[in-house]
Amino acid sequence: MARLPLDVQQAIKRQAPRLLKKDFKREVEKRFKKIKNQMISDFLQDQITMEIMGGPNSPNISGTLDGVTNLFAFIGFDEGDQPITPILTLLEETNIQFSKLNTASNRQTGMEFKVNLPTPEQVFAVTPLPWASGRSWAQGIERGLSGLGYLLRKKKGRSGAAIQSRVKVRGGRFKNRPYISAFLRKYKIKFEDLK
Amino acid sequence: MKAQFQHNLTSAFFMWFDNFLLTKGEAYTNTTGEFFYYDDTLIDSRYTAFGSPYKQWVTDSSIAGATVPTGVFINGNLSGRADGVVLDFDNGRALISGASTTDTVTGSFAVKDFNVYFTNDTEDDLITENKYVVNSRVPSGPYTYITPYDDVAPAIFLAASNLENKPFAFGGMVDTVVNMKAVILSDDPYKLDGALSIFGDSVNEGVEPIPMTGYPYTELGDLKDDSYNYTNVKNGYSEEVPFYIKSVRTSKLSDRARKALANELYIGFIDFEVEQHRYRFS
Repeated sequence: MARLPLDVQQAIKRQAPRLLKKDFKREVEKRFKKIKNQMISDFLQDQITMEIMGGPNSPNISGTLDGVTNLFAFIGFDEGDQPITPILTLLEETNIQFSKLNTASNRQTGMEFKVNLPTPEQVFAVTPLPWASGRSWAQGIERGLSGLGYLLRKKKGRSGAAIQSRVKVRGGRFKNRPYISAFLRKYKIKFEDLK
Repeated sequence: MKAQFQHNLTSAFFMWFDNFLLTKGEAYTNTTGEFFYYDDTLIDSRYTAFGSPYKQWVTDSSIAGATVPTGVFINGNLSGRADGVVLDFDNGRALISGASTTDTVTGSFAVKDFNVYFTNDTEDDLITENKYVVNSRVPSGPYTYITPYDDVAPAIFLAASNLENKPFAFGGMVDTVVNMKAVILSDDPYKLDGALSIFGDSVNEGVEPIPMTGYPYTELGDLKDDSYNYTNVKNGYSEEVPFYIKSVRTSKLSDRARKALANELYIGFIDFEVEQHRYRFS
């Protein structure tokens, strides 16, 4: 195959990024928004998320407590608490940043961008247990949660549904399952596929 | 069953934890006083039990300044292991062979600010069942022995929870991360803050992998080789791949939650991530 003359090759390298920039950016932004919307929708449809958003009267749809009480009461939240909101805020803040075209140095046409997705540690930092603020309930979902919040609540008699139960709930009854870390890992891969 | 990774980690971590608290916090008080006779049907009939008002005593000779007893005074005369004395450090007592119940027994020892126990109890049980006698380290009369066997507060309860292996290197090496938890029951918020601060700063520490065979205690609570020095024991394993404190997170039971408890204890939590690069089944 005939090679393009050197001056033509150089002209393409010089001009293509500028000409293609708008199209690239538009397309990447479109795909980014689609993935971001899908991510938020997936998060809101997660059984753990739905159960906690359901408040003290939610059934144990996640199955993490064998149907005895529910995560909202087990973790020890107060009626009216909205523990999912800080996670949602972090997910909503996910954004894409385009950097300067860099064709001269790497001799490639295209553009660079970076997706700022929250890390699991950032999520754990905004999800404190109501009875021990240095611990994260979201991390507890993944690694195991004690029933301490539930038992303290029963003793104190502050809650709504939690004090209704006569069944003794112990930490050993909680079945941990993947939550935030696996979720963010999955979407990190999807955002990386934008490339 | 022969000792596995988890067994060895447990004993090594326990020994490291005890030494770290005593070393960094000087978390002990040297004490001298009378021991009190009591009947204990669970021990061999040749022994007579004389209990001090405090348990657990410091066993580790590497703790500078701490009095680690080698014997007790019976009617004013020093008697050691060679004279038939067993020192039960865990229960804070001396078991004396051939002693009379009317003998006067005294001794010097260092009592820990926090007893350290390994437990399988859940946090819920530890905190809400309220089954712990407070063995206050602040002197107050009338003095008598502390009942043996039961765990007492102030105490720190250690437990291992999750273990996860991830591929690390060619040839089958894995990155093993174990979550170790500590629940602190303290009779005083100053001590609680001190313990949380010490272990909060333990991130990046190495823990020598002392196997279970290095565990220094006998079934009677005395020392296997009559003495125990953590620094010397760990130096024997300095060529082994250490455990690594990858992360530490400390927290306290909120005041609001604490008011729901029936006791007056201050409660804290330490969550460790302990890591080691290793081959499975090693």
